[in-house]
Amino acid sequence: MGKKKVLLLTISLVLIAVLVIYSTINHPVDYITQVKPILNKNCITCHGGVKRLSNFSLLFRSEALAKNKSGKPAIIPGDPDHSEMIRRLTLKDPEERMPYKHDPLSTSDIDILRRWIKQGAKWGDHWAYVAVEPVEVPKPKPHFFGLIPASPLSWAKNDIDYFVYAKLKEEKLQPSPEADKAILLRRVSFDLTGLPPDPSLAKQYLDNPDDQHYEKLVDSLLASPHFGERWTSMWLDLARYADTRGYEKDGDRWYIWKYRDWVIRAFNQDKPYNDFITEQIAGDLIPHHTDAQMIATGFHRNTMTNDEGGTDNEEFRTAAVLDRVNTTWQGIMGTTFACVQCHSHPYDPFKHDEYYKFMAFFNDSRDEDTYGDYPILRQFSTEDSLKLLKVCDWLKKNEPEQQAADERRFLKTWQMSINSTRADQMVNSALADTKFLTFRENASARFQQVNLDQKNRLVYRYNARIPDGVWTIHLDSLHGAVLQTIPIKPIKKKSDWAIVYTDFPPVQGTHDLYMTYSNPRLKGKLSDGVQFEWFHFTQRFPETGTKENKEIEKMYWELVNADVTGPPVMMDNPPSMHRNTYVFERGNWLVKGEKVQADVPHSLNPFPKNAPRNRLGLAMWITDKKNPLTARTMVNRLWEQLFGTGLVETLEDMGTQGAVPTHKDLLDHLAYQFMYDDGWSVKKLLKEMVMSATYRQDSKVSREMLVKDPYNKWLERGSRVRLSAEEIRDQALSLSGLISNKMFGPSVMPWQPAGIWHSPYNSDTWDKSKGEDQYRRAVYTFLKRTAPYPSMITFDGVSREVCTSRRILSNTPLQALVTMDDSVYQEASRFLAYRMLQESADKENPVDVINKGYEIAMLKPISKSKMEVLKHLYDTAYQQYKNDPDKTRDIAGLEKMHDNPETAAWVVVAGALLNLDEVITKN
Amino acid sequence: MTQKELHNPQLIKEANDRILRHFTRRHFLKESAMGMGALALGSFLTSCGSGASAAAAGAADVDFALAHPLAPKLPMFPGKAKRVIYLHMAGAPSQLELFDYKPDLMKLNGQDCPQSLLKGKRFAFIRGVPKMLGPQARFEQRGSSGAWISDNLPHLATVADEICFLKAVSTDQFNHAPAQLLVHTGTPRLGRPSIGAWTTYGLGTENQNLPGYVVLTSGGHFPDAGKSIWGSGFLPSVYQGVQCRSEGDPVLFIKNPDGMNRDLRKASIDAINNVNRQEYKEYNDPEIISRISQYELAYRMQISVPEVMNINDEPQYIHDMYGTKPNEACFANNVLLARKLVEKGVRFVQLFDWGWDDHGTDPDTAVDIGLVNKCRTIDKPVTALLLDLKQRGLLEETLVVWGGEFGRTPMMENRDGKQNPFKGRDHHVDAFTIWMAGGGIKKGYSYGETDEIGYSGVSGKVNAFDIQATILNQLGFDHTKFTYEFQGRPCRLTDVSGTVIDDIIA
Repeated sequence: MGKKKVLLLTISLVLIAVLVIYSTINHPVDYITQVKPILNKNCITCHGGVKRLSNFSLLFRSEALAKNKSGKPAIIPGDPDHSEMIRRLTLKDPEERMPYKHDPLSTSDIDILRRWIKQGAKWGDHWAYVAVEPVEVPKPKPHFFGLIPASPLSWAKNDIDYFVYAKLKEEKLQPSPEADKAILLRRVSFDLTGLPPDPSLAKQYLDNPDDQHYEKLVDSLLASPHFGERWTSMWLDLARYADTRGYEKDGDRWYIWKYRDWVIRAFNQDKPYNDFITEQIAGDLIPHHTDAQMIATGFHRNTMTNDEGGTDNEEFRTAAVLDRVNTTWQGIMGTTFACVQCHSHPYDPFKHDEYYKFMAFFNDSRDEDTYGDYPILRQFSTEDSLKLLKVCDWLKKNEPEQQAADERRFLKTWQMSINSTRADQMVNSALADTKFLTFRENASARFQQVNLDQKNRLVYRYNARIPDGVWTIHLDSLHGAVLQTIPIKPIKKKSDWAIVYTDFPPVQGTHDLYMTYSNPRLKGKLSDGVQFEWFHFTQRFPETGTKENKEIEKMYWELVNADVTGPPVMMDNPPSMHRNTYVFERGNWLVKGEKVQADVPHSLNPFPKNAPRNRLGLAMWITDKKNPLTARTMVNRLWEQLFGTGLVETLEDMGTQGAVPTHKDLLDHLAYQFMYDDGWSVKKLLKEMVMSATYRQDSKVSREMLVKDPYNKWLERGSRVRLSAEEIRDQALSLSGLISNKMFGPSVMPWQPAGIWHSPYNSDTWDKSKGEDQYRRAVYTFLKRTAPYPSMITFDGVSREVCTSRRILSNTPLQALVTMDDSVYQEASRFLAYRMLQESADKENPVDVINKGYEIAMLKPISKSKMEVLKHLYDTAYQQYKNDPDKTRDIAGLEKMHDNPETAAWVVVAGALLNLDEVITKN
Repeated sequence: MTQKELHNPQLIKEANDRILRHFTRRHFLKESAMGMGALALGSFLTSCGSGASAAAAGAADVDFALAHPLAPKLPMFPGKAKRVIYLHMAGAPSQLELFDYKPDLMKLNGQDCPQSLLKGKRFAFIRGVPKMLGPQARFEQRGSSGAWISDNLPHLATVADEICFLKAVSTDQFNHAPAQLLVHTGTPRLGRPSIGAWTTYGLGTENQNLPGYVVLTSGGHFPDAGKSIWGSGFLPSVYQGVQCRSEGDPVLFIKNPDGMNRDLRKASIDAINNVNRQEYKEYNDPEIISRISQYELAYRMQISVPEVMNINDEPQYIHDMYGTKPNEACFANNVLLARKLVEKGVRFVQLFDWGWDDHGTDPDTAVDIGLVNKCRTIDKPVTALLLDLKQRGLLEETLVVWGGEFGRTPMMENRDGKQNPFKGRDHHVDAFTIWMAGGGIKKGYSYGETDEIGYSGVSGKVNAFDIQATILNQLGFDHTKFTYEFQGRPCRLTDVSGTVIDDIIA
């Protein structure tokens, strides 16, 4: 190479370099998109929320600019040359150069950091932590100062499409044409109702597949009662709903299905999402709340309780409270908050103590990991409900308002009561099965800090066999003043518990109660005298001296003792039973740190003014339009349900470590519309999505496109996703005509193989439901946490132990075994075959029958080549059964009209249909 | 590719990551790398296992990975163990009647427990002051290693020189379900992947006609923590344990329905796959390819699973050795099955035997009655397993682990402050024994010691995380680097703890 050439090359290189530097040097650096990713990737592991080596943290600006261990700040805004951070990044000595023991940062990264400091080291907020603002829809703009009008985008059906198109254009991609009418019909039907379309609805649309009829179809699906069932399946994963309590014994959680029914009704009524959330978080605190609003709080009573012998009730009460915090954040606000349990968040602006401040909202609830799952909302018979009305009416007239309300609450919930699990200082007494306070001869136990203001009656639930027991309650010490001495009456039936009362002279103030018990009849020191479950301090029943008074009081005690239970609900402690909240050092509940008050993280929207510092206030904060996370999370979740992937793929985490949104503007646009224009209507939001051209696209993809955008990130085609566990079952039942449309009620037990339930210390059995309950939609199937319904789990259903934001779909041989061999699918195949024969034009003509079967499943005629394959299968099967009456009967059914080789062969074909990829896929 | 490159952990990790990237669709799997690395992938993988030859070239790697999430993968570094058999005695057997001989405890038998042992401690059932309970078994030193094994396990005593005992294991969970979860999933709460799921996620499996992770239960109940204990947590569900059952179908729904023979099943699957291939031509969705291969695999499993689950073909001397009981759901049968399964290339076999919770509330839970009977049901089969694996040359590459979820107290249980009617021991977190054999672990070795009464470890203390770290290490994984991105952070089995127990590695 000649010298000249070298010179020329050098000059041009220098020129280019100068140009590059010039063009970038004054360009403002964006903290969120440029700086934060570098810090997160290279620095924050050692200098962040978890570790703060050399006392240097890059999590908050105040920390980053503060003096560190050296006594000097590492970042001096405006002066990169004197900022220790830049010096350490550029050193040569590997012992001193940062990142320690890792490759040095690239020159371009260092340059970004240098310019960022030069420009003042400004901090920025992560997009998901900033309130949603209106976004301009990127419609085509007029050119040349308005002289040439904008060309309308003929593809677009609504605003969603402009956002999607803008991205496609950036990526040099084209949208796909609209999907075939039958495919679209099936897609939207599954998406909105979780079922294939009703035949008459299908026909209406297929006969006139235009925009107008599509909208009619969508409206009908949104109005269908099945809509609520489909979306409830989704919500129950977040609510970690199950019919049992979890852990070792995993016993039944009675009546929790009332919560499931509440969710179905809420979706069907299109309850505004802000109310939907408020009632679930704090229905019990809404003034003049209804029973339904109480039942809604089952959302946070879906936490597990542990009835295993020898467990520490406080440990599992605490675990449930922590779970409520984590679920609220992950499920409702798309944020991973659980890490803050042990230390400040490593990447996101949440401090360690903020976790516990948030926990304080949930920590004062009445539930205490008791066997009775208290508090519950007792479910009276109709007759008793009328009595209840009568008693409450009478009490209202004859008692001060507050007292009448307290009595009503007691009748309905047995609260406020002190659980026997609160006992301590037990001598010759114990918590039997760790839950029930048991007294033996000369026993004693203490209950701390019981408020007796204005109380003169003690109601208690107990169980005793032996007469002559004497129970004494002392104030403030074992030998303190006697509040009352109570003879304990034996109960005849062994399993029975009774609720009775004793009156005592009024004592003011808060006292430690010391209870003692003795009984000369007890044989030996160790036999049990009496067991208590709870104690309720109250006031005497009003006395008017009338006959009515006596009747009402009698009714009152009948209701109190009525043998009914109910779904667990949320309820807060009265001030006299307030529970303090402390920071748990490193997340360990046994190591309590500083005491904290209920609050929300300061990096998000402020707590609403005048909102109470309880769960109701919390719900107001969550559903405040300034809350940056709530609406975005729900929009993202619904999008994921329809399109297979969220606009932010990580539904559970929109924080800085979550996935980058593919269409942030669209997400914000929809979130804004959801809150401000559509009054938090889920149905409107879904309608907007399914009406878009984006949604209606064909899902075909070329090999070339598949390489370019394998996961359809840019939405240039329709989504093609396997049906959910629930949908696969519901579809088989529906296509075969077996499905029951019965809604609501206790969970059902359809057929399952023997030997699935084997919980230790639990004799519950799977008792197959009768009649149509065998064929209910999957949302009604009984879910036992430690042994869920097998086929549901095989198709990626979850066991609902903790909040699950999304199911990760798998594709396994066990799934094939379910849809080929599970009795449910066998029966469905059989009935689908009968239906094919019955509905085909000519059942003697296999072509007709196959066509019918395919049409039932896919809503369109079958292609010639697929027809040939299934015809061949029919022929093969027919040859097999022709001479084998035993096998024929096994497969085709016992009834005479079905017991023939033709039908047997059709059952095989129907079974194949139910296993086709296109049938178990939402295309 | 040279041998050295083949074991370059970075290279291997990248290759394995790439498969999962396409498989799991997790968010961290953002870009589809379709460069040279992907081209090399097909041959790279087929070189190390069977059943992974289909559709494995070039741009087809998407299809390949979708169809073969369990294809064999190489670990981070060459591991000494290729597979694991984990024998979990659910309920937690008493170390004091089996391996941890404490003659001094006998001297204290019947005396009140000193306050120093009770202060600040929490027990599941002991209240007030319990009595001390001396060892309820006769002990002897066994083999040339001189390991103490009680008369409760006379057969196992003969193979003492194959075993490595960890005598000072501790935990912080004193209830069954949380403690079992801690041992198997690294957390006392529900929702994280089990060690078997981690193993199949990391290594795939060697026999594509069988599940990679098999679970067998006995004792009449599931372990207390239920099925979550072999769940896949946040890993794709394909990695969860498949329960093989001795009641009904060996794997759920493996049997063709009545009236459907194997030929017709084949014809059905052929038809389904033929239609699916047509669908694939139209839509190019790689999931369809995957589904086609899963149906083929399901068909092969229908043969291979009942075959491997049938122990009747084993010769009589093997049955005698294991002490099997024909047509009964028992531990001995499960142990023999475990050997058959690992022999066929299953990666992780997990046995749970329920019924070791010896509180002394009735004869069945007395340490001198129930425990003795329970030991009889495992002594022969476990011994046979070690000998059988050895004679087949499998023991060196198969790690066998035996243990419970915690230990038992040196005190006699006094439930709710009352003396229990039989001799029993409460749950104990501070010290218990777990043993390992094979898989590159020292033979005839004992690590760790407890104090004179077996209350706490005094040397060589280890916990569940250390054991998990060691198991992963034997399989070729650095437990601190073997992670899966979940909820914004790289999660690992051992969370933030765990140290490989170097001392016990051969």
